[in-house]
Amino acid sequence: MSLSGRESYRDELTKLASIDERILCLEADLGGSNHQFEANHPNRFFNMGIAEMASIDIAAGLSEGGHIPFFSTFASFASLRSAESMKLAMGYMEKNIKVVAPYGGVSGGWFGTTHHALEDIAIVRSFQKIKIACPHGEEDTRKVVREAANSNKPYYIRLSRNDSYESLDRALDHDCSHPLFHYKGESDLCLISIGEQGTVLCKEMESLYPDVSHIHLCYVDYESLQDHITEIGNAAERLLVVEEHRLSGGTASLLSILMPEKKVYSHDCGEDWPIYGGTHQETLEYLGFSSNVLREKIDSMKGKKLSI
Amino acid sequence: MVTKMNAVLTPEHPKLENIKRKCREARMQIIDMAATDTGCHIGGSLSVIDLLIVLYEKYNSDSKNQIVLSKGHAAAALYSTLFVNDLLGESPALTYGKKSSLLTGHPSHKIKNIPFSTGSLGHGIPYAAGWALSQKLKNEDGIGIAVCGDGELQEGLCWESFQVIQSKEINNFVCVVDINGAQNDGYVKDISDLVNLKTRFESFGFNTKEIDGHNVSDILGSLNEEQKKPLVLLAKTIKGKGVPELEGNPKAHYAKIPQRLKNKWKRSLL
Repeated sequence: MSLSGRESYRDELTKLASIDERILCLEADLGGSNHQFEANHPNRFFNMGIAEMASIDIAAGLSEGGHIPFFSTFASFASLRSAESMKLAMGYMEKNIKVVAPYGGVSGGWFGTTHHALEDIAIVRSFQKIKIACPHGEEDTRKVVREAANSNKPYYIRLSRNDSYESLDRALDHDCSHPLFHYKGESDLCLISIGEQGTVLCKEMESLYPDVSHIHLCYVDYESLQDHITEIGNAAERLLVVEEHRLSGGTASLLSILMPEKKVYSHDCGEDWPIYGGTHQETLEYLGFSSNVLREKIDSMKGKKLSI
Repeated sequence: MVTKMNAVLTPEHPKLENIKRKCREARMQIIDMAATDTGCHIGGSLSVIDLLIVLYEKYNSDSKNQIVLSKGHAAAALYSTLFVNDLLGESPALTYGKKSSLLTGHPSHKIKNIPFSTGSLGHGIPYAAGWALSQKLKNEDGIGIAVCGDGELQEGLCWESFQVIQSKEINNFVCVVDINGAQNDGYVKDISDLVNLKTRFESFGFNTKEIDGHNVSDILGSLNEEQKKPLVLLAKTIKGKGVPELEGNPKAHYAKIPQRLKNKWKRSLL
């Protein structure tokens, strides 16, 4: 049984801190009590209280002093409440700060719009120089956390809530910046999955549409995408990005700019505000980010008669 | 109580005279920057300069300490301080605000000896606190020092940070508040008065001192005790200090002045 992204993060960071005493764990009252990092490294664990903006700036001072601070709070608070601190300390000054943001997308479900983050990737991406990772499953999450700890660059790691997933197979010597290609070669359509729910949908589509290719992207910041844009563009003529995010500022829009010769489409959460209660899945369905709607899109793109 | 520093540094002490000389030179540099094409935030730069010069004298020789000018609009004061301490190669007024110059209207970390880009208010305080916490974690005795303005304390981020500083017992932290009583649009008391400031800081558990922010000996003395709690210096200053035409006038927040005024004001400092 896999661990959820949040559990994987806590576990992996706790292990890393055993071998690197520069690593610090900062939480904003949302890391859960009985945090294993605190149990194992009490002097390097700081529950900062509900002070997201100050936490990022304090993390900047800690990083200048040679530490590697990981700061975690929900994605909507990390990306919005502390946006200016992220812009300045992480984007402009490139301080070595790692922000880990669970509750990405609408994984907050019935908690409501305050706890949803459908804009976070657009906001953080606009600051530049920040690595943005959207791992899928335990292995990807652990690997991204290790990569972040070993890098001097600022990171924004977007996670979901408590659901757990199996990561896609990845070559041992490949870091998570490498896109994962599942080529089929018979269709001019390729799905591009991002994040946990996006990848779940694309895995399902792979079995339904054996001729459609699939690329899984973990890093979606501008520089990471640019590094692999030729390989991504070579996959197919038409690319359908599946991402639990708004259309505005989503990865589809960036890929379409980076690949003007390609036709890039988006399966996303639209532009509406989720206003109703419900589970993560029910909220996604309300926003049209569902298996049925995605199948309808793919069928339409393949020229099939719609049957939904 | 007579502090150790006051006991050593009499008004005639050569070190004190040297500091005062640097303050005077820095003020001239600030006036030079006000006379450039862009002008500068002259009022707040002249109010904070004695504080900055003393802080650099006291703390900057040790790399374990870090001084951050949180009220970044007083960049002219910071550039002047760096210059008179031989930390900036040439007179800042020569390139200040010009094309391709790093000496922008608010300080950038791209400049050597400036650790953090400030200007958006409030950020220097948590940054200095983070630096101080890092020193503590490394069992070093370094100090994080933030220099902020009184108007800046209207920014919520400051109080968010003070909350964390007290809760995490970041005792090797110093906040120097340049209380010149005015901000961009007028007097602080008319815009959003900072009532009971001393009591407020004391309620956070900080060691809080009220000093004359232009009295070099007073500033030095207030920094010379063993620090067991975060220290806040409420430094009473005068906006535009040193230039009679500007002193105490909130309209002196930002100015671009003609050459004739520059020469007159600089002469008055001698």
